[in-house]
Amino acid sequence: MSRPVPSPPAQPDSLLAASTLDFLLIELVPLAQRIAEQHAARDRAQREDYARSQIFHDQPVQTPSAAAASKPAADTLSVGGAPTDNTTAAGGAGDVEEENRDAVFWRLDGMGYRVGQGLVERFSAGRPRPQTPLDSIKFVCKDLWPLLFRKQIDNLKTNHRGVFVLTDQRFQPISRVSVDRKAGVKAGEDTLSRAQAYLYFPCGIIRGALAGLGMDVTVHADSSEIPAATFQIKTRGAKA
Amino acid sequence: MDSRTPSIACIGVIGRSNNPLHISLFAASGPGYESERNKLEYSFMLNSCLDIFEARMPAKTVGHDFGLLHALDERTAMYGWVTNTGVKLVIVVDMEGRPASTTGPGKAAVLGLKDRDLTPAFQALQTAYIHLLRNPFYTPDDHDPRRAKGAASLQINSPRFTKEVERIGNAWYPGIISL
Repeated sequence: MSRPVPSPPAQPDSLLAASTLDFLLIELVPLAQRIAEQHAARDRAQREDYARSQIFHDQPVQTPSAAAASKPAADTLSVGGAPTDNTTAAGGAGDVEEENRDAVFWRLDGMGYRVGQGLVERFSAGRPRPQTPLDSIKFVCKDLWPLLFRKQIDNLKTNHRGVFVLTDQRFQPISRVSVDRKAGVKAGEDTLSRAQAYLYFPCGIIRGALAGLGMDVTVHADSSEIPAATFQIKTRGAKA
Repeated sequence: MDSRTPSIACIGVIGRSNNPLHISLFAASGPGYESERNKLEYSFMLNSCLDIFEARMPAKTVGHDFGLLHALDERTAMYGWVTNTGVKLVIVVDMEGRPASTTGPGKAAVLGLKDRDLTPAFQALQTAYIHLLRNPFYTPDDHDPRRAKGAASLQINSPRFTKEVERIGNAWYPGIISL
């Protein structure tokens, strides 16, 4: 297959508008990651300060080495309830990474949520009113998706009890991500985990759009093979 | 008695959870009609519309225009519109709101009011609401009682939106093509 053909209305302005989302995402994800890291670092610093001040007030006479040893004890002593600092106490790098990923997700999802709410208000005007949750999901697949990602969703599955799975075989924001196939399985996994961050913002958009249409949902995105992405939408209160 | 033409008496924007987002009142003009409109009275009127929306919603599968909701008396009639996102727009029309002008727009004698006379006003209101959603300083969740945190007012406080609603309310006359 040669170069992908631009979407049918190939006017310069529509092409630009379609590309802006790509460029925005390229900028947005690292920004969110940086902010999350900075916040985490500041948090850690403040907690350490707090713990140190506790030690200072509780046991004014103490050698530095003893202070370091009794630090976890001081943490539990703090009645005011600063959450115990498991990142420095346990020293697990995995924990920090996990926490950062959650913070990045929360930030990007929140941004997307607001965008989704605005979009749905703008683009649902003049369309038939969705009667059922399935109609709302279809609106997302057929109307919102082409506007944002230049194609319709490829597959929609539902268990008719509040869980919907949308599959896009060639999801625009990660379609340009390259995988080094020669480097083996490890590199593939690494790329997947890094590309994951680019799915958070679209997640938020879906959540916001559905919230605008009156559905309370949680959206979870996954990618098992690079240009494809699956979005699992769970309405609040649905099982499985 | 002078002949009078309809004008908008009140515009209400009501959120998804039936919470009032914005209410604008427009006083009648002309000699003998100067009394201020009572805000509480109009809140009650807007409240009385909600049941009608609710009752008609299942039967109405297409379109946003709910037309005439009900006529309260000879002077007051209420018209409704629902966006896909569940925001309800209500316009209360005062059938004797302003003196009939003999010149300028809207001079044609009006006998009754058609549903489509209100359509431009509703469309303009919906556009104003869409523009509001594009304002970065407006957070929709702060105006939804189910999601808002704290006891802050749920009403829309964007000056631009308020001004636009004022403009629509004052500019509308029966038979206007676009606002």
